[in-house]
Amino acid sequence: MTTYDQASWKDEDDDRHEPLLSEKANERVAIEDSPLPDDLTRDSLELPAPAEPALARHYTRLSQMNYGVESGPFPLGSCTMKYNPSFTEDIAARPEAAVHPDRPDRTVQGTLGLCHRLQDYLGRIGGMDAVTLQPPAGAAGEFTGIQIANAYHQHNGDDRSEVLIPDSAHGTNFATAAMAGYSVVELPSGDDGRVDIDALEAAISEETAALMLTNPNTLGLFERDIERIADIVHDAGGLLYYDGANLNALLGQARPGDMGFDVMHYNVHKTFATPHGGGGPGAGPVGVTEALAPFLPDPHVRQRNGEYEYYRPDHSIGKVHGYYGNWPVLVKAFAYITRLGDAGLADASAKAVLNANYLATQIPYEVPFGPFHHEFVASAGEQDAADVAKGMLDHGVHPPTTKWPETVDEALMTEPTEGESLRSLDQLAAAFEAVHDEDDGTLAAAPTRTAASRIDQVRAARSPRLSWQALDSDQ
Amino acid sequence: MSFDVPDDLRYLESHEWLRTESETTRIGITDFAQDELGDVVFVELPAAGDELTAGEAFGVVESIKAVSDIYAPVSGTVTAVNEALFDQPELINEDPFEEGWMLEAELADEGELDELLDADAYRDQIE
Amino acid sequence: MTSPYAPHTDAETETMLSAVGVNEIDALFDVPDAVAFDAEFGIPAHGERGARREAAELLGQNADLTEFLGRGHYTHYVPSVVDDLASRSEFLTSYTQYQPEVAQGFLQALFEYQSMLVELTGLDVANCSMYDEATALGEAATLSQRVRSVSGETILVPDHLRDGKRAVLENYADGPGLSVKSYPMADGRVDIAALAETIDDDVALVYAETPTVRGVIEECLADIGVLADDNDALFCLGSDPIALALLERPADVGADVVVGDAASLGMGTAYGFGLGMFVTREEYLRQVPGRLVGASEDNDGRRAYTLTLQTREQHIRKERATSNICTNQAWVALRAAMHAAWLGPDGLVDLAEDCVTRANDLAARLDEIAGVQAPVHSGHHFREFVAHTDQPAPAIVDDLTAEGYAIHAIDDHLIQISTTEVTAEAVDGLVGAIAEVTK
Repeated sequence: MTTYDQASWKDEDDDRHEPLLSEKANERVAIEDSPLPDDLTRDSLELPAPAEPALARHYTRLSQMNYGVESGPFPLGSCTMKYNPSFTEDIAARPEAAVHPDRPDRTVQGTLGLCHRLQDYLGRIGGMDAVTLQPPAGAAGEFTGIQIANAYHQHNGDDRSEVLIPDSAHGTNFATAAMAGYSVVELPSGDDGRVDIDALEAAISEETAALMLTNPNTLGLFERDIERIADIVHDAGGLLYYDGANLNALLGQARPGDMGFDVMHYNVHKTFATPHGGGGPGAGPVGVTEALAPFLPDPHVRQRNGEYEYYRPDHSIGKVHGYYGNWPVLVKAFAYITRLGDAGLADASAKAVLNANYLATQIPYEVPFGPFHHEFVASAGEQDAADVAKGMLDHGVHPPTTKWPETVDEALMTEPTEGESLRSLDQLAAAFEAVHDEDDGTLAAAPTRTAASRIDQVRAARSPRLSWQALDSDQ
Repeated sequence: MSFDVPDDLRYLESHEWLRTESETTRIGITDFAQDELGDVVFVELPAAGDELTAGEAFGVVESIKAVSDIYAPVSGTVTAVNEALFDQPELINEDPFEEGWMLEAELADEGELDELLDADAYRDQIE
Repeated sequence: MTSPYAPHTDAETETMLSAVGVNEIDALFDVPDAVAFDAEFGIPAHGERGARREAAELLGQNADLTEFLGRGHYTHYVPSVVDDLASRSEFLTSYTQYQPEVAQGFLQALFEYQSMLVELTGLDVANCSMYDEATALGEAATLSQRVRSVSGETILVPDHLRDGKRAVLENYADGPGLSVKSYPMADGRVDIAALAETIDDDVALVYAETPTVRGVIEECLADIGVLADDNDALFCLGSDPIALALLERPADVGADVVVGDAASLGMGTAYGFGLGMFVTREEYLRQVPGRLVGASEDNDGRRAYTLTLQTREQHIRKERATSNICTNQAWVALRAAMHAAWLGPDGLVDLAEDCVTRANDLAARLDEIAGVQAPVHSGHHFREFVAHTDQPAPAIVDDLTAEGYAIHAIDDHLIQISTTEVTAEAVDGLVGAIAEVTK
């Protein structure tokens, strides 16, 4: 079993860890003799001014107080924290990739060509007829997809007001539907953790604009009745939306387009290994069937007379990003797909599913639903799942997603990804085992070996201090 | 675990309480509700003069991980708000039936009181 | 072939399969035959060297031009130390900080980023990023609908606004049923008298930019603030962190929300890849979209950082969340903060002053060319300016492309030129080329 001591920089005479940049080197400069008249300028500016060596040390220390995929196992359910290949960074950093978005099409044929290829690849992978790369993240992809559904219905003179979403879905689905002006109808899951067909039939109506579905769902379960579900939705005139968060379960085994989905988003920082950068950037390309292609965002890339060009699709919903989306992230996804090809992509999913299934047999917690694919949701039972997670931090592993979905008590949603070896899966299992055998008191005090010990969330929320200025005014 | 359920109050199934004393009626959430929520970090309440409609949400109470609507047990007009809660939302956890009260209201229809649960019925519900 | 990033040996795969109790991995897939995929994608595997070659070959088809382009996306020199530090895998390969005890480094860096925006704007609360300026403006529009003191349903924007920004705003406005209307600009900046005529009680938010999309520094911001206030509307100001180092503080001109693209620090040109700033007043804290990092304490009584006020967000509040945003641009924010710290306040102000003088100097040189009048607009410029050409602007842009330069044509006889990270030689070259092609 592994224990873990995260680097931690503490000032013994003080009540803080590494000081803030502002505490190390703040400087105030007055704005004087500027080329602008005084009434157009501010009086002064106060910011940190560390010399470069101090700056390098500051951020190096901060990085040591941070855990990434290259630090150890990161089985955060629904987040697909797989290894991010280094070579994709080199490609994204190529000087020819660093062009301005307002250049004429004919001077950026390389950029457009790469986008066109990526559109094509993603279409093949998802079984979709057309793909836009513009949405800058998964949630933006959802918004794009639902706006496309909205525009499609409007175009057909069909005013619909509701979006159906299973209770186990990602929170973004609900928020997206509301942002697009729809009422959300929540579908209760069936006893087997999947869509309850009776509940779906009861909820569907001529008001239904779309059903948003993740498949396999957040419990890792494939919706076996997907054809029937698609028929029910389509018969009512609605569209079927595929949340691509769990696509890493299915590469080469099944495609959303073949299952009857009309519109989907891809999470490239999940399925296609682009680094998540501590919260982002992502990219959320959206694929659609031919019928929906005229509604794609403006502009779209096509090839004509041997040249690539932008055009506005006939009934475009307009734009969802100021320019063309998160270009460097798309380049990395392109590089990953090109590197792996058909067989490599299919093997990635196969090993991801094998890893999840193997890990589930090695941990002392019960997994109530199955058969699952790339992730499983175990139950911490009598233990508090959040405490289990804190306990695992002391063993050099990142814990699973906790307390969600709510369909499992004290959920531990675990997605090891294909990148973990047998050895690291065993290390992960040992961490589960160790925490399982821990008493509640010890767990409640965990973690103790991380840079910071357990952090008081209540204090943070009751009196929010969101800047160093707020800390100063507090003292 | 047993929760405090004072005998002299009326209750809603959604865990609000109501106390009528001479001229004023006070409203808050129950001991059970505060325990379910965990540490309350924020509360959003209407202002004096706002209208309440029985069964409809009048405010929101938040913990770290959850947000709950607070429902009006009766219809009426808000006459006072417990402003201490804005700086000390923890009063709802510490003393839900006294210091942690939320609103005072003037009832529109005293008949609505009969629709509420008494202490025994509410105890049955949460046990 | 197998995935090069799945480390399993055949023997290990066998061990794992037998632990699970199946003979082959395919048996683990619970996919009905009717929807199973048994064909090929038709995507060849290239290997790492091959993939690099493919990408290099494709990208090599981009023309090698010296860019004098701006209008919202800017190239400023990014020091090597930013690339180096931001590439550390503990930052780059980490996730959203749902376990703050093991993510103090990134949380502190984001807290520092938020604080820098607070200093630059004079407002109270910065979130730790939106996707880009356009989506940040969309979020500001929807925020206006959650603010109790605002009753209107119209978003007023300048008629000189990047098309892309307006198009994004219209998508965000669509759901809540807001209408987006424009007010007139005069001489490249807000026509305050016309704005006063346009604004009414139905306006929920007035948006203005400094510098404007044409590079002009706005001079009547405080008046816009008053107009917004008088009509119970929010005043949303668009800018960027380099301009804000020098120009009036948004808090001093009555701005309620500041949006903008902060990727002008830390990122350089990346085909429109952005970093949406979102800064507002404390009174709207509960309505802020996206993630916020706050300070708290750990069990040992030491200051520690954590994501906070998460009940605003989609994973808890679902359809009543302030936004659907989840993944944001955190790593770009990290880079921007590093760059700002590397510059320091002196360096940042110097850079901003250079943006004024370089635009002035180049405009003066172009104005000496027969058939070119620069700048077209009076007042002060930042980074860029618009020039009038007697000959058709699109033809001039085409001819300059052939000479190896990229500039904007924004109307039949208007060109726009941005001077950010260009050398004196490049400037001389452009001036010479413009003189040549306008002959």
